[in-house]
Amino acid sequence: MWFVIGLLAFLAILLLWAVGIYNRLVQLRNQVKNAWSQIDVQLQRRYDLIPNLVESVKGYMDFEKGTLEAVIKARNQAVSARENVAKEGGPTGSASIKELAGAETALKGAMTSFFALAENYPQLKASENMKQLQEELSSTENKIAFSRQAYNDQVMVYNTFQQEFPASLLASTFGHHPSDLFVISEDAAKKPVKVSF
Amino acid sequence: MAMNFWEAQRRARSKTWLYLTLFTVLTAVVAIIVEFAIREFVGTDYDTSVPAAGLAFGAITFFTAGGQYAQFCLFGGSSVAESVGAKKVDSQTKDPAARRLLNIVEEVALASSLPVPPVYILETPQINAFAAGLSKEDAAITVTTGCLALLNRDELQGVVAHEFGHIYNGDMKISMRLAAMVMGFFFVIYIAMRILQFSNVRGQSRDRDGNRGDPIIVAALIFLVAGAFTWLFGSLLKAAVSREREYLADACAVQFTRNSAGISNALRKIAKEQYSHEMPQEGAAFSHLYIDSRGGLNALFATHPPIEKRIKAIEGREYIPEEWNIPK
Repeated sequence: MWFVIGLLAFLAILLLWAVGIYNRLVQLRNQVKNAWSQIDVQLQRRYDLIPNLVESVKGYMDFEKGTLEAVIKARNQAVSARENVAKEGGPTGSASIKELAGAETALKGAMTSFFALAENYPQLKASENMKQLQEELSSTENKIAFSRQAYNDQVMVYNTFQQEFPASLLASTFGHHPSDLFVISEDAAKKPVKVSF
Repeated sequence: MAMNFWEAQRRARSKTWLYLTLFTVLTAVVAIIVEFAIREFVGTDYDTSVPAAGLAFGAITFFTAGGQYAQFCLFGGSSVAESVGAKKVDSQTKDPAARRLLNIVEEVALASSLPVPPVYILETPQINAFAAGLSKEDAAITVTTGCLALLNRDELQGVVAHEFGHIYNGDMKISMRLAAMVMGFFFVIYIAMRILQFSNVRGQSRDRDGNRGDPIIVAALIFLVAGAFTWLFGSLLKAAVSREREYLADACAVQFTRNSAGISNALRKIAKEQYSHEMPQEGAAFSHLYIDSRGGLNALFATHPPIEKRIKAIEGREYIPEEWNIPK
């Protein structure tokens, strides 16, 4: 009799403990998702700005078709990488943030060489429209960088909690996997797009 | 990163507490001294069982400071900005410089996890900026047109991040509290002066009657000396606290932007800029709020530390003026 009561009490405690871990995991996952949505908004904004930029410089940079096409191509790859991430359930699903980070790195490289070339066109440099687009792009760039810090901090807390004992026993049962950090890998791309002439 | 900002913040915070405690203790000690002095010098005319004079000193300081602080509380950040003649930036502005400023404010708000405050521009050629408002919810940031014209994007970001540092650390609240306390001490001087002025007239007429050494005059003199002493001391402490908060805000600017060059190059430009050696006339009353003030009589009363020292604190190395190179 006492044995049964003891067993039931033990099971109840075990259950409460599991519920606690479950809730904490959900809470942390939502924080990661929220931090990701901050980056996502800015990424979308940048992808919207780039075609405008290309459109407004076409007249000036007729000879640099290759560079412009490279920018557009890198941008389209980044857009589809972002869509993949969204389709696969965001940073906490099975999505590969790494793939998006790779596409972002390529895009940054293309933008850097684009702006380096634009230096050669004084008329372009003087254009009000161009200046405005540049300002918006560098601000978006900074916002991505700042929200990336916040996102990476959240991911670290989430991943650490999953990997620590005792949550490590249950995390994957409850469907939680470590999320990827959003890291821009190459040194060259680490610098924000240089847009001040 | 040239600066360990967590360490810098911890040190500055604990020092500020020390100053605030000193301030409170000072009031209490002087109130007790006043009580004893009056018992000593006024003699038999002052014969009460309650320490009336000490309480009066405490009450005058406390109520004036309280009233002054309540007035500051009613005054939101935006109304401070408007009162110095700054204009609010429209969020839909097409002006490139204003657009850039708004973008930078949004960036730093994101980096510091603070709400985006209203932004004001003050029409003046000096490089300067201030944050006003007692809480982070009613804070407002004001930037001069000099800033917009002379600083590059990174430097402007550093200056804006410095102001966000003040909001983040609640510096406006602290400096307003200290200003209110100093005002309280000043009011003791004012009352004592008025009593002296008033009783002098009476006293002269009484001279003919040979009635000298009016106990009211003696009491007023004691209050005057006590008020002057605490006011002087309070002003020094207020300035010292303010300087400490500037270092803290510089540390925050580095923390938020992860870029120590932005704020330190902006400070270099301020140091070089001839105009910036004078405060904008429009805001002299709020000198403690500005990013830099050169209105102080000397280093002891200055609300801001010397720029060279601030740059040294940010960059972590000694700093030789001849080598100042200002990036475009």
